[in-house]
Amino acid sequence: MAIITGKAWVAKNYVMSFDMILQKFWTSPINPAENAKWVMAGVAEEFNRENGFVDAGYTFIVAGHNFAGGGKSIEHCVTGLIGAGIKAVFATSFARLQFRNAINYGMPFITSKDINLECNTGDELSYNTDSGEITNLTNGKVFSSVPVAPFVAEVAASGGLMNFIRNKIADGTIQELH
Amino acid sequence: MGMTITEKIMARNSGRTAVVPGQLVWVDVHTVMTMDYLGKQCFTAFESLSPDKQLFDKQRLICVSDHLAPPPTEQFATMLNEWREIVHKYDIPYFYDLGRQGIAHQLMVEQGHVLPGKVSIGTDSHANTYGAVGAVGNAIGVTDAAIAMATGKCWFRVPESVKFVIKGTWQPWVMAKDLSLHIMGMMHWNGHLIYKTLEFTGPAIESLGMAGRMTLCNMTVDLGAKNGIIAPDATTANYLAPVQKGEWGFVSSDEDARYDAVYEVDVTQVGPTVSMPDKLDDVVPIEKVIGTKFNKAFVGTCTNGRTEDFAIMAKILEGQQIHRNVNMICIPASQSVYLECIQKGYFETLIRAGAAIETPSCGPCAGIHTGVAGDGDIVLSAGNRNMKGRMGSKNAKIFLTSPAVVAASAIKGEITDPRSQNW
Repeated sequence: MAIITGKAWVAKNYVMSFDMILQKFWTSPINPAENAKWVMAGVAEEFNRENGFVDAGYTFIVAGHNFAGGGKSIEHCVTGLIGAGIKAVFATSFARLQFRNAINYGMPFITSKDINLECNTGDELSYNTDSGEITNLTNGKVFSSVPVAPFVAEVAASGGLMNFIRNKIADGTIQELH
Repeated sequence: MGMTITEKIMARNSGRTAVVPGQLVWVDVHTVMTMDYLGKQCFTAFESLSPDKQLFDKQRLICVSDHLAPPPTEQFATMLNEWREIVHKYDIPYFYDLGRQGIAHQLMVEQGHVLPGKVSIGTDSHANTYGAVGAVGNAIGVTDAAIAMATGKCWFRVPESVKFVIKGTWQPWVMAKDLSLHIMGMMHWNGHLIYKTLEFTGPAIESLGMAGRMTLCNMTVDLGAKNGIIAPDATTANYLAPVQKGEWGFVSSDEDARYDAVYEVDVTQVGPTVSMPDKLDDVVPIEKVIGTKFNKAFVGTCTNGRTEDFAIMAKILEGQQIHRNVNMICIPASQSVYLECIQKGYFETLIRAGAAIETPSCGPCAGIHTGVAGDGDIVLSAGNRNMKGRMGSKNAKIFLTSPAVVAASAIKGEITDPRSQNW
């Protein structure tokens, strides 16, 4: 059983992907440490400086509806959060494209109903990666979450979809993908 | 239990006889599209994956210069050069670069790279457009593109299906965009339809041409849907016949297919529709905003940059003058559209009316180039998104609507119902 504990930043509904990563960085190389430097810069003024979000030292993001929406194919939203030390994002719903990117990078984007209504920025949360239970240690509230699909867990255990595929190519099972 | 069209396509292309919503499948993709903005990253990721650097099929990797071409800055010019270098290195036959360019999604459809019953993916969110021909079109990121470039496969969770039955008769000057915005108002931006497949059917869809079908499927991404799809019919077959690259067969949903929900819309009741600035689903019938002044007008994009869109504008603007306080930019979605609009005289009409015509590209839709919005601008746009900062300045406001409304409104410089006159 793995339990992750840390401080949460609570976002509003409709955090947009193009605010998470400003346009001038959309074409930057994928590199979590580099992508993290300006991640979330357009989401809140306090993060609009180099390492603004990294320095805040959050472990989790709690969000409402349609986290990382607005339709951008860029993966920097996810790699930036990884580089910033975010271990999981809990939201009532995610935008499809970034939800997919998160799965591909082994980053837990976890759907949990109403969690955003019972958490405040700075609250300590703990996340049980086996049961999916999220506990707000600051106010004692407990939340369930939508279970992680076996494929998603397998990709995460491989260190992301690229490694998952590399392993399949290396062991000659790539043709068995079905 | 029968299957919906999307379920059938996912089953057929994953070597199965049946699939059910929620199932995870690796699907054989027919084509992979990538473009100047992310394409080099796709090749780099692909090269890191495949020791022998063999593409799954270079005839089915479609490369496009649309977001950055022509480049507005030195940085973008250099990026485009790097992009060209890697595409040339792999000797990609279908490379639509400046001079033969267009918006990727338009090219994928008009050049026959997407086919009914197949799955095509692209590194841009509006890849949903491919549903217009009865393909499953899906937006993916660099990782998925790189893996598909190496293996020809992409993973999917089979989505739940939602059916929209569109009945009634289209009112004059009402376009697929109006229906699309109307549905956005009904279902909300990334709301109830998140992750689902949307199937459009009914008599008002059967009477819709391919341009309107593309508009409708294109906008499903902003409903939060995985894809939008219209079963292929005679209109599809006629459209594809001269351009299709590959064989295809008709496919449609079974009568006993299972839907999460079925909605009926009577298009007779849908008039010109406007999405208010900042939030796509803040949608109103045009009557509520008539007289609203604006200073920029824009028609183009993968949503509304097709010949049919400029045809309706030319009909309205024939012999008219665009208001002196309005700057109108029109951008055809591809060189083919551009040429057709010149040949049919639509662009002559628009130029005489005072519109600026630009070379095909994504233009200012994503706030990148050729006419971005500045502080205080009020834009009446036939594009697809109107969030704060989408077209440039966060201090600009974007009203979204149809090309017919943009054209009719540009004359007075205020939002005008195109039904108010016999153009």
